[in-house]
Amino acid sequence: MTATNLPASDAGATTSRTSSPAAGPGRPRKSATQLPRTFYLMVLPALVLFVIFHTIPVIQGVYYSFTDSPGYGPSNLVGFRNYIALFSDPRVLHAYWFTFLIAGVATILVNIVSLAIAVGLNGKIKFKTTLRGVYFVPNILAILVVGYIFNYLFSNSLPALGQKLGIDFLSTSLLTQASTAWIGIVILAVWQAAAFNIIIYIAGLQTVPQEIYEAASIDGAGAWRSFRSITFPMIAGFFTINMVLSLKSFLQIFDHIVALTNGGPGTDTESVALLIYKGGFQGGEYGYQSANSVVFFIVIVVFSIVQLRFLQRREMSA
Amino acid sequence: MSQSSSPPRRRPVLRPLRATTIAGVLVLVASLLSGCSGGDGRTVITFFQFKPEAQQYFQDLASQFEKANPGIRVVVDNPADPETALRTRLVKNDVPDVMTLNANGTFGEFASAKIFRDFRSDPVLDHVNPAYLKVIGALGSGGKGEVNGVPFAANASGLLYNEDLFAKYHVAVPRTFDQLIAAARKFKAAGVTPFYGMLADAWTAQSPLAPLSSQLQPSDFFPERFADRTTFAQGWRSTASELAQLYKYTQPDPLSKGYEDGTAAFAKGQSAMLLLGSYAVPQIRASKPKFTVGSMALPATNDPAKTTLVSGVDVVITAARHGAHQKEVSKFIDFLMQPKVMTAYCKAQVAIPTLQGLRNDDPALKGVQSYINAGKIVGFTDHQFIAAIPLAPLLQTFLLSGNESRFLSDLDSDWDKVAQRRTWGIGAVNS
Repeated sequence: MTATNLPASDAGATTSRTSSPAAGPGRPRKSATQLPRTFYLMVLPALVLFVIFHTIPVIQGVYYSFTDSPGYGPSNLVGFRNYIALFSDPRVLHAYWFTFLIAGVATILVNIVSLAIAVGLNGKIKFKTTLRGVYFVPNILAILVVGYIFNYLFSNSLPALGQKLGIDFLSTSLLTQASTAWIGIVILAVWQAAAFNIIIYIAGLQTVPQEIYEAASIDGAGAWRSFRSITFPMIAGFFTINMVLSLKSFLQIFDHIVALTNGGPGTDTESVALLIYKGGFQGGEYGYQSANSVVFFIVIVVFSIVQLRFLQRREMSA
Repeated sequence: MSQSSSPPRRRPVLRPLRATTIAGVLVLVASLLSGCSGGDGRTVITFFQFKPEAQQYFQDLASQFEKANPGIRVVVDNPADPETALRTRLVKNDVPDVMTLNANGTFGEFASAKIFRDFRSDPVLDHVNPAYLKVIGALGSGGKGEVNGVPFAANASGLLYNEDLFAKYHVAVPRTFDQLIAAARKFKAAGVTPFYGMLADAWTAQSPLAPLSSQLQPSDFFPERFADRTTFAQGWRSTASELAQLYKYTQPDPLSKGYEDGTAAFAKGQSAMLLLGSYAVPQIRASKPKFTVGSMALPATNDPAKTTLVSGVDVVITAARHGAHQKEVSKFIDFLMQPKVMTAYCKAQVAIPTLQGLRNDDPALKGVQSYINAGKIVGFTDHQFIAAIPLAPLLQTFLLSGNESRFLSDLDSDWDKVAQRRTWGIGAVNS
């Protein structure tokens, strides 16, 4: 439960964050009391919704994590039993390991791919606007829909191609083996997530003043050198945001797996979010999986903070 | 929420604001709730219907019932993934008034959580075949002697075969496990896929598992397993090895195909047999096969006298234990349990009627009719599994890797782990 609620928490957090500094120097103050109240009024609906739909469910989830509740009917408090059982459950530990693997690989790949495409789309090329539109399309498609199309490609088209070309590796479906299924998931995740990251990188690239490049080319800097010494440092803030956001969203990976493998073969491609859903709602272990989601919530928060701190420090030194 | 929205210092300024907030929230809540009332004075009962193949059928029945009872409105809910949907409704304490469910482990779990009504003394059960009452009772109940559902239709889970292909290759209906393997070998040699593998839907592997295990395991296996006096490694070894043998005769790459692919391919004559029960026949017939679909009990031993037919209650009708409209609900259940309605349903869905004296003469049930008549019927063994044990995924892994010992030990360790953190219902540590 908590895991699926996380995007809401970000939305809530950003709205409250961006609206408060605006109270400061932006406009000349007419009356000291009038203006802040307007801002309170503006924040209030978001805050009310946030508390009702996010904070209260989270607290409920924490409560359930200390019970043996199947989600309905009577239940008893069991103390830390669920948490102790979690750490000795290989299915849970494997789900964590698998989620970290997917999130790590996909975060790195998506940033490499989208930065490269963004640099290309920012250059002087033909059909620039059209291409930018085309590259944004994956973002507006539902992951489940795209996922089923990719599923068809991976389990029918690709093997057919592999058999025709005589490539053994490709002639059976990627998704049917534990050792290759994760590749399919990463491909879909990167394809889908790159769209949004490209837009952020393009926005970043447009903030870099053209004069610097002119000066650099006069000094004899090549393309690679000016990318490394000018472009990248100038858009380091955008890089940080993209890294943090993509890691966070890949840690919660769910739809991709439902559409491609549904956790199979066996339980080899279960992410933590999928396991929480399967065990909690389908398996009837609501309390146990609530404990899992509390742990996962803490893990994501810790990861995001550590990553943000690290990248911001690097940003400043760059 | 009003607490967080009003810092104490600004009380005079914010008081009107608080009132508007509360009013706004109330309007919002009211608009959400207004969707629930009927509006035209009729009593509304919700009917949760789990079977996707029979949506239209039950929808029609509900409107017929409404016509006969003008004071009652039946709202039919046909969710996708019904068990999960029902669980989420239970989480909200929103138990549907009437439900049709598959009588499986989840049904037993809900029954033991005292969700369903006790029909013990209800006259609606008078003519129901007692064997089926026993089958649902074995799954779990709200208390000793309770009957928490009304069996409506039963199925037969042996295997299905293409009668034309059997005739063409002169294969007789196998009566022993060795004959079955010999038949599979013959088809394979002739270039016909013996069994169509549908492992993309992992549950399909449970279909042959049930007849194999019920014939091969010791008769008191599950009670002993619940008491932790035996293990799968001891009781299920032969089951696992026979299951693996059957799956050697599928098409290559069975994991990339699912239930819909399999039933469609079988209907096109692409495989001689299908390891599914009678419940799959309507789905197969939807692809308009040009041959007769036959059925047989799956023999697990080499003694034909020991072969039994797995038959479970495919559709059980039940009601909320503390529903608000008990009288109307009983009326609706009586309506559904009329012999006429049941016969028509079973004919349409190739199911076995549960009322005594009724029968279904569908050709796809002919091969198993003798087992039903002789009462050589056992329930699904896989319904004994607590839902939290990942039986289907474990089977899928096993049938791909073929590692028998690993499968059995995984099954044992998952069973033990789930049992250890279980404090209620079936499989509870203290019961």
